[in-house]
Amino acid sequence: MFQFYKKRRLFFALSIFLILIGILTSVFAGIEMDIEFKGGSILKYAHQNSIDLSKAEDVISEAIGTNVSCQEVTSFGSDSLSLVVNFSGNEALTPDEQVKLEEAIIEAFPDQEFALQSANLVDPFIGRELLIKGIWAIVVASVLIVAYVWIRFRSMSGPSAGVMALVALFHDVLLVFFVFVVLRIPLNESLIAVVLSILGFSINDTIVIYDRIRENEKIYKSKMPLPDLVDLSINQSLTRSINTSLCAFGAVAVAYIFAYIYNIDSIKEFALPMMVGLISGTYSTIFLAGPLWVMWKTRGGKSGF
Amino acid sequence: MAKRSFARTGVKAKPVTVFVVIGIILIGLVLSVTGAKIPIPGQQELLHVYGAKDIRFGIDIRGGVEAVFEARDYEGTPSSEDIASARSVIALRMDNLQILDREITVDKNSGRILVRFPWRSDEADFNPEAALKELGEMARLTFKDPDGNIILEGNDVARSYAGVNPETNQPVVELELSAEGAEKFTEATGKLVGEIISIYMDDTVLSEPRVKTQITGNRAFIDGMADVQEAVDLAEKINAGALPFALQAISSSSISPTMGQDALAVMLQAGLIAFLLICVFMLVYYRLPGLVACFSLTGQVVGILLAISIPQQTLTLQGIAGIILSIGMGVDANVIISERIKEELKTGCSLQTALSNGFTRAFSSVLDGNVTVAIAAIALMIFGSGSMLSFGYSLLAGVILNGLTGVTASRLMIGSLSQYKKLENPWLYGRKGGQQNVPVL
Repeated sequence: MFQFYKKRRLFFALSIFLILIGILTSVFAGIEMDIEFKGGSILKYAHQNSIDLSKAEDVISEAIGTNVSCQEVTSFGSDSLSLVVNFSGNEALTPDEQVKLEEAIIEAFPDQEFALQSANLVDPFIGRELLIKGIWAIVVASVLIVAYVWIRFRSMSGPSAGVMALVALFHDVLLVFFVFVVLRIPLNESLIAVVLSILGFSINDTIVIYDRIRENEKIYKSKMPLPDLVDLSINQSLTRSINTSLCAFGAVAVAYIFAYIYNIDSIKEFALPMMVGLISGTYSTIFLAGPLWVMWKTRGGKSGF
Repeated sequence: MAKRSFARTGVKAKPVTVFVVIGIILIGLVLSVTGAKIPIPGQQELLHVYGAKDIRFGIDIRGGVEAVFEARDYEGTPSSEDIASARSVIALRMDNLQILDREITVDKNSGRILVRFPWRSDEADFNPEAALKELGEMARLTFKDPDGNIILEGNDVARSYAGVNPETNQPVVELELSAEGAEKFTEATGKLVGEIISIYMDDTVLSEPRVKTQITGNRAFIDGMADVQEAVDLAEKINAGALPFALQAISSSSISPTMGQDALAVMLQAGLIAFLLICVFMLVYYRLPGLVACFSLTGQVVGILLAISIPQQTLTLQGIAGIILSIGMGVDANVIISERIKEELKTGCSLQTALSNGFTRAFSSVLDGNVTVAIAAIALMIFGSGSMLSFGYSLLAGVILNGLTGVTASRLMIGSLSQYKKLENPWLYGRKGGQQNVPVL
């Protein structure tokens, strides 16, 4: 039987270390945000024939040094085509940058007769209002989850169990966020998708271990010190934790491999942080939530029951 | 408590049950792939059950419409508050239409609103101008007194809906005004008792109700509707007019998908392979309960697809994330149950006792895990908009289906299979080196 509680400081240190790396990277390298969160410019160029959009993305990104995404628009009834370039930034493109951009696409696609049609400086797609709503949703959900755990896990004296589940949860969400920062993936809609999924996965994972602790408390109460009881519970559900995570991780890994082979950026940007989040979700339940709860319950020499 | 009721019923099920459950799952599978048109008795129209191919995919997968709106008949540039409020009206409208994958943004300098949204699933001619009609009227709503002075404007009306006057039992349109709107309305109706207030959508008269008494507070209703349908139509038009100014589309065009045309096919392939891998793993590791898990997971996937395609919800990246998470939880439920059965068998009890105890003991953790996640999903649905709403919806649907398939269907199938003499060998349920040494019940 692995003694998770005894070795807890090692894992706490590991988590703190990873979070520190994330914080330092955020501070020194900065956080890149995509047009969805930051706003930016949308330029539209009329041109002749259909062009390779991912090639356009690459040459423009290189020319002006920011990540851009390109789409093609067609008007109904006529065959006129336009290239739409979306990029993030608080300021409109300087004339100098615009010249660079135009030179780059003309060089990459000669004979297209690019002509600027419109340039708009736009607000973030996900505005302040939407973000505030999202944060409210997460706050309300957290409060309700603690309340539910409180009621259902009364024998574990619920509130502390609920709070520790949330600590593990925030640990996972932070790590996922830092994956975006460290890998320089601009924050966009896939961040929302990954964070929300990990939120659900992490909470479910923790609850399952709590359930085992709750069951063992009925059997072994006052026959076994609390740290041993929690270790026993974690060990008993270890196969389940590993198998479930393996299935989830495997499924997302398959998606990542396919996206990698076919070069679908948006899926890669989603799958990679998700894989890290899944590992973190399982890790935090086993090495953080359980041991932290024991530390809280046995603080100042209490038995914890 | 649920725990006790499980112990009482055990997991016994009739031998035939397993075939019924698998049959239902397979019918669902076919339905979710093909879709169906079912005749409704006594009606001409067919009930269209949309299949997975009729799902409304997001802009990233299928492309869509890009439109630029500008305030019509407006001097100068609208204030940024007004533009922001127009933007939220459009966002709310799209939430109600289940268009959850969209990009709405504004250019404050020019006062333009840019909207991108995906094609309908049954789009045939890909005319962006026609597709814009789905978003409803972009006209300006005004309430005017007999001299033509404006009393209320679109953003003074918070909400409007069809209702019934409890005194006369006649259909009416109920209005809920904003605080500012209520103030203006109280003052105006005080002066205009017995006179007519006309409700205009641009220059078209929608309704001309007479003021009976001064209306105080933020609620009012309009009666004299011919039938319920008229009340519903008028309420919808008033809702649509909650814009601070009329909008006109200065351009509309088709926009290409951001992901590339073959992305969907590639991801579908990836999904299938991932699903097969999970099935193989479950089968090898858990044997008979693993086989059962494959069927119940199929049922869960089919159910989620139908839950998204039938109401024609837009499938967003976040929606897909919600589906992946709920399937992950479905796998978890099956893993917990199978693991528990294995553990019970190790104690040396009979197969039926092991099955019964396994399900009973696994149940509380599956229940608590799913309820907690459902709480988070509901919070996201209530507060979220667009992509968060989409995630919350597919997750909630997935969690509910998990209760149906991961717990109920799995239990019925295993209970039923264990009735067959040939399937009584504990080895099939995960016991190492198991012989047919169980006492027959």
